[in-house]
Amino acid sequence: MGKKELKVAFLLALRSLQRGSRSSVILTVLIIGMCFTNMIFLPSLFNGIEQSITKQLVDYEVGNVLVSPKSGDQYVNDLGGTLALINGLPGVERATPHYTEGATFTYRQRILGVSVRAIMPEDETYVSPLYTKMIAGDYLGNGDTGEIIIGKPVAGDANIRPEDEYQPSLGGVRVGDSVTVAYANGFTRNYRVKGIYSTGWSEADSAAYVSWTDMEQVLGKPLDQASTITVKAKPGYSETFVKNELIQYGVADTVQTTTDLLSKSLGTAFQSFAIINLVSLIVSIIITTVVLFIVITIKTLNSRRQIGILKAIGVDKEVIMHNYGFQVIILAILGIILGIFLTMLLAVYMTIHPVVTPAWSATLYLTPMDIVTNSLILFVAALVAGYVPAYQVSREDIQTAMRA
Amino acid sequence: MIEIENLQKIYRMGNVEVRALDGVTLGIEKGEFLGVMGASGSGKTTLLHMMGLLDEPTSGRIVIDSTEISHLNDYEKTMFRLYKLGYVFQDYALVPDLTVMENVSLPGMLRKDRTEKEYREASIDILTKIGLIDRQDHLPRELSGGQQQRVSIARAIVNKPDILFADEPCANLDTENSRMVLDLFREINEEMKQTIVMVSHEDWHKEYFHRIIRLQDGKVVSDGKCGE
Repeated sequence: MGKKELKVAFLLALRSLQRGSRSSVILTVLIIGMCFTNMIFLPSLFNGIEQSITKQLVDYEVGNVLVSPKSGDQYVNDLGGTLALINGLPGVERATPHYTEGATFTYRQRILGVSVRAIMPEDETYVSPLYTKMIAGDYLGNGDTGEIIIGKPVAGDANIRPEDEYQPSLGGVRVGDSVTVAYANGFTRNYRVKGIYSTGWSEADSAAYVSWTDMEQVLGKPLDQASTITVKAKPGYSETFVKNELIQYGVADTVQTTTDLLSKSLGTAFQSFAIINLVSLIVSIIITTVVLFIVITIKTLNSRRQIGILKAIGVDKEVIMHNYGFQVIILAILGIILGIFLTMLLAVYMTIHPVVTPAWSATLYLTPMDIVTNSLILFVAALVAGYVPAYQVSREDIQTAMRA
Repeated sequence: MIEIENLQKIYRMGNVEVRALDGVTLGIEKGEFLGVMGASGSGKTTLLHMMGLLDEPTSGRIVIDSTEISHLNDYEKTMFRLYKLGYVFQDYALVPDLTVMENVSLPGMLRKDRTEKEYREASIDILTKIGLIDRQDHLPRELSGGQQQRVSIARAIVNKPDILFADEPCANLDTENSRMVLDLFREINEEMKQTIVMVSHEDWHKEYFHRIIRLQDGKVVSDGKCGE
């Protein structure tokens, strides 16, 4: 097959698409575009959910590596020593402790059970973007006592009746209001609400934060233990590297990366996502292949006499086959371009209107690799679908084709 | 130019055997304008298709320009048709999605010994000759039947084939257009010494032929110069 033959095959293909049935071309391109969108939409959405969950877990629960009490212990002990050790390691940006205590909040007639997390507010800013999520009031300072920040769902809305609430709240707490907090150890304190935040991560939004100093007052002793220590890795250092470093340098507590935690908590869900993605991909490929196969089969059957004539005047069967092959290639490329355009539109729409649930919010997570991979898969499927009928009809003898 | 020996074509439809050609032996000289005539079903088109390498004989031998056709493989036959033969069909058989110019240029585009400039010039020359240069950008459906057949002839001769085969080229045309097409064939034959083999069942066409063979039941029943 020389350059001239390919040029003629391309000319025949182009003219057939330009001057043949326009509605057939539009419909075929539309179907390929839709199939591409279908192939990429669901995986991107699932990826978005995974990314969202992972990011929120990193931001509000783990950092990059979580140090939790070793088996049989309730707390990470020798906090000062452990923090000093971790913060001195090369791959660590900052390690900061969390101490969680159950409490009952009372505001006017509302009573609500809430987890209170004690944090070191300044260190926390290196690990978590919580301080950027304030929707009212201010973030905590290191020395704050008698002040608390609470999640938006805890604060509630004064305009929503209790029976209409998705989850129980304090019914409309505002910055500056006073809430009474009764801790599990029997200590009760009135707090001024310093700020209200909204992270989109339900675990964090359903909690309240106080400073480490405040919790020491609540417990009535210096606090040298933590429920967990969240560790942020420096840019360029992997979670696994930091985890191994911590273990190597003698952190005796349980050390887990975000990936470790995700595989334990959401591994099954992510596996289900992968299966659904695969099914969706296979269905899309089958639809595209069948549609293109039908389109090209109908085209070739309707053109059998013309194919016979072309062969009669000296057009080689390879040229005829590639003519239909080029038609499929052009249709597939146009369909894929349309599909990418539709997907981008959806991505923009979902950036503006993300899927929001009480637990997480997600947008489409698209990578160039996803687009390239799906484009190639669809392109190969289209080639197979187009070339099979083209090959069959191009092999037909002239007499049979001309009599059609 | 063409030597045919004891050519047979037998179609089998179940248990029924149809002898479309039954031992045809024939020679055609270069520059001849040969008419193949006969009643419907006499084997005219079958003979034309055998000579034009569009169909395989059941037995017998065809030699064109010293080339034994049965020795050629599928690709060689395609190239033989492209370089040495031209065809004009009853229903014009133009590619509907190509313009007049593209239709006429198509065989030239595929020839390895023709540059784009050469086949374009040849197409322009031939379209000028048949009086359709002003219609070069039109699609076949925008032309009359007579014009389409002239384009079909232009496509057939643009490569300057050794032999031009025409299968009832006037069957779909009125008398005026038929005469125009036949005049064109005569002109090509006389000016370019083009060998033409034309199938026809119209008796008045014979005035254009140098020689006529008549077929009946797949056999040559007469072979003679026009007027003999």
